[in-house]
Amino acid sequence: MSLHKLNAKIEDRFPKYIYSSQALNDNELYLEADPEHIIELSMYFYEKLSCTLVCLFAADERALSGSFKLYYSFAERQSGSLIILSTSIDQNNSGFLSISKTVHTAARYEQEIHDLFGLIPIGHPELKRLVMHGNWPEGNFPLRRDFSLTHKPGASNLAYGFTEIKGTGVFEIPVGPVHAGIIEPGHFRFSVAGEPIFNLEAQLYYVHKGIEKLSEGKSTEKCFYIAERISGDETIANSLAYCQAIEKIAGINIPERAEYVRVLFAELERLTSHLGDLAGICIDVAYHFAGSQFNMLRGWAYEMATQLCGMRFLRSVNKLGGVRKEFVAGKEKSLLEQLNTMQRELEDTVDIIRHNSMFNDRIENTGVLDTKIAYDLNAVGPAARASGISNDMRKQFPYAAYPKLTFRVPVYAGGDVNSRMKVKIKEAFESISLMRQVIENMPGGKNFEPLEPLGPYKKAFGITESPRGENIHWVMTDETGNIFRYKIRTPSFCNWPALCYAVAGNIVPCFPLINKSFNLSYAGNDL
Amino acid sequence: MVNVEYLIVQIIVVIMAAPLVNGIIKKTKALSQKRKGAPVLQLYYDLFKLFKKSTVVSDTTSWIFKAAPYIVFTASLVASLLVPVTTMIDSVWYAGDLILMVYLFALGRFFMMLAGLDAASTFGGMGSSREAMISSLIEPSILVTLMTVGLTAKSTSSYQIMEFMKGVDAPLIRPVYLLTFIALLIITIAETARIPVDDPSTHLELTMVHEAMLLEYSGRSLALMELGASIKQLTFITLLANIFIPHDQFIFISGAGAVLISILIYLIKVIFVSILIAVAEVSTVKLRLFSIPNLAALAFILSFIGFMQHFVLGR
Repeated sequence: MSLHKLNAKIEDRFPKYIYSSQALNDNELYLEADPEHIIELSMYFYEKLSCTLVCLFAADERALSGSFKLYYSFAERQSGSLIILSTSIDQNNSGFLSISKTVHTAARYEQEIHDLFGLIPIGHPELKRLVMHGNWPEGNFPLRRDFSLTHKPGASNLAYGFTEIKGTGVFEIPVGPVHAGIIEPGHFRFSVAGEPIFNLEAQLYYVHKGIEKLSEGKSTEKCFYIAERISGDETIANSLAYCQAIEKIAGINIPERAEYVRVLFAELERLTSHLGDLAGICIDVAYHFAGSQFNMLRGWAYEMATQLCGMRFLRSVNKLGGVRKEFVAGKEKSLLEQLNTMQRELEDTVDIIRHNSMFNDRIENTGVLDTKIAYDLNAVGPAARASGISNDMRKQFPYAAYPKLTFRVPVYAGGDVNSRMKVKIKEAFESISLMRQVIENMPGGKNFEPLEPLGPYKKAFGITESPRGENIHWVMTDETGNIFRYKIRTPSFCNWPALCYAVAGNIVPCFPLINKSFNLSYAGNDL
Repeated sequence: MVNVEYLIVQIIVVIMAAPLVNGIIKKTKALSQKRKGAPVLQLYYDLFKLFKKSTVVSDTTSWIFKAAPYIVFTASLVASLLVPVTTMIDSVWYAGDLILMVYLFALGRFFMMLAGLDAASTFGGMGSSREAMISSLIEPSILVTLMTVGLTAKSTSSYQIMEFMKGVDAPLIRPVYLLTFIALLIITIAETARIPVDDPSTHLELTMVHEAMLLEYSGRSLALMELGASIKQLTFITLLANIFIPHDQFIFISGAGAVLISILIYLIKVIFVSILIAVAEVSTVKLRLFSIPNLAALAFILSFIGFMQHFVLGR
């Protein structure tokens, strides 16, 4: 369905509600409606058009129009278009109607808006703090534009309010925020009766850095470095999403060679991440032999990254308008050889673990994420694909050189650790195959296209499929062409609630294994 | 009357050799992962360092927390005295038998579980409850296994069993001993918190059993706990090595030289059994917590079949 057909269909259905519609950047349809019609419209998009709410965010546009703006972004996955429903909240009236009761995935976005903008979602089923913890005083809303970046609001001591489960023999296990091992901080509150877990609540945002606030007013080049540093192991996914948004606004097409190089690095990042996850899953069940095999392979992938760009975490590879310099020329033969060796070793290792029945017993039926729940929470990436949802932004919202390459999107229906592991193994092989295709078919030409300064008040989405799933960035420029609002929605934000569901009903010692099979990022969630 | 020579030899050998077992197991595992691994003597260095360090004790703990390391260590050491490393010296066998050994370890474990609960930390209680579950499941298997061997030797004293086994020609080709050997190997793995029951090298508190109870310990207390655990491990390995692979019948000299040779051969057997345990660890994966009863049942059944084979079919 093209954007025009889609627009006509919506206007046909709701002639009075939509008072402005605008098609931008090939696949983004911006619609405006009054706040009181949002619930009805969202229900229509969600239930009738089968669109998923992929992002919901606010922007403080009081200086422009005297109101806050809410953007409900729905993805129409068949045609690869986005429907962005926006509404204005008058600055004197800080409430808006919650859509969480129909579109469940909206709940956390609404909490986020509540914490950062001070807008109150009316009728929200469980309104408590999400981003800001109890030490943040009330009445301070950092993403409002009149909140200065240097302002220090002091301390406060408000209660957080974990969900309590009462009954004989039910008790709580608090874990974290500081964990054993070198991982990021996050607090987990288990409600258990003996070993079985009734409920898990994750309190995150211990490493909230204010990235969205930090990027306000920055030039597009400076903001690139912020985007690159959102999450250490998703450098390419995040910087690519940002670059694509800016390039859309600038209206340029990047050179074909740069498109191929971007795929090469994106797949190298995916391969590295998946190998790390596979190693983690094996080590968590004390299968140290397989764990060190996968870790060794991951080391090889890091080695390959060093040879390509001199940096294991792939920073300063992307650039607005393409890639920074020539990374691949002269290294093709050695890269192909390394990929072949990796593929062989990976095949051998997978063959060994597949025949270990004790290992299979551990991962089968552990941490099942139901398909319905995965759909309702808009679970993304390998976690969704292991629960039978075949979403992959590389296919649905094609970018870079992906449309020119052949690859499959593995889908399993089990929803357990085993399925997630199988998805990651298959994707690792697909990544190796994609990298090989890129190296073999890479065209010559320039590495980047210079960018003209951006126009005022332009907006665009940048979408990538990071190793953890769909990664959605939205950029709006101010009157000088700098960043007015930069909204980042990483896959971890969507998958944390899914993890909490998957854990319920399992026993406590299985939690680390389930957690590892999701491999969620704290930094990528706590923006 | 107590044989002083025996006590001195036994205590020195047990305390000196116990940490070696951990080193050998770790080294074997490291080699299986293409790693160099820590030195074989690493646990000695660790214990030496820990004994010099001061201990931090939580304000909320009672005397049990402070007493537990001494009780655990003493119970392990006394229990190890009941399993002679060599039969070349008369042991203290008349002071106690294998049943006493089992319950001395149980005493240490009881106080370790109390200490895990005492600090009221998140993970200690979890470790204690899991330890209670595993130990109560494994206890019948230990007794049946040891009784089966004991019945063939007509004694529950390990010294007398070892003396008897010296006269049995190639014990491990006889079904009853092969089955009880495997059963005891499984029990050793379960009792000493090794994969597939527990992962001694994990950092994940939520999956821990033995380590979770020790999380609050530091300094000398921790060293005593660690040493106590490795003495217990060595004692079980001694049972395996000296009952099922007897060697003293091949030493035809007597006196101090014979004791020395006997202990050297004993150490080689300990290394062999340690490698066997390491191989079992490398090729298995940690079981689900609620699958551990199956493992205990397996040990029980193996020794019971051994018992039936020897006493019912064997006649």
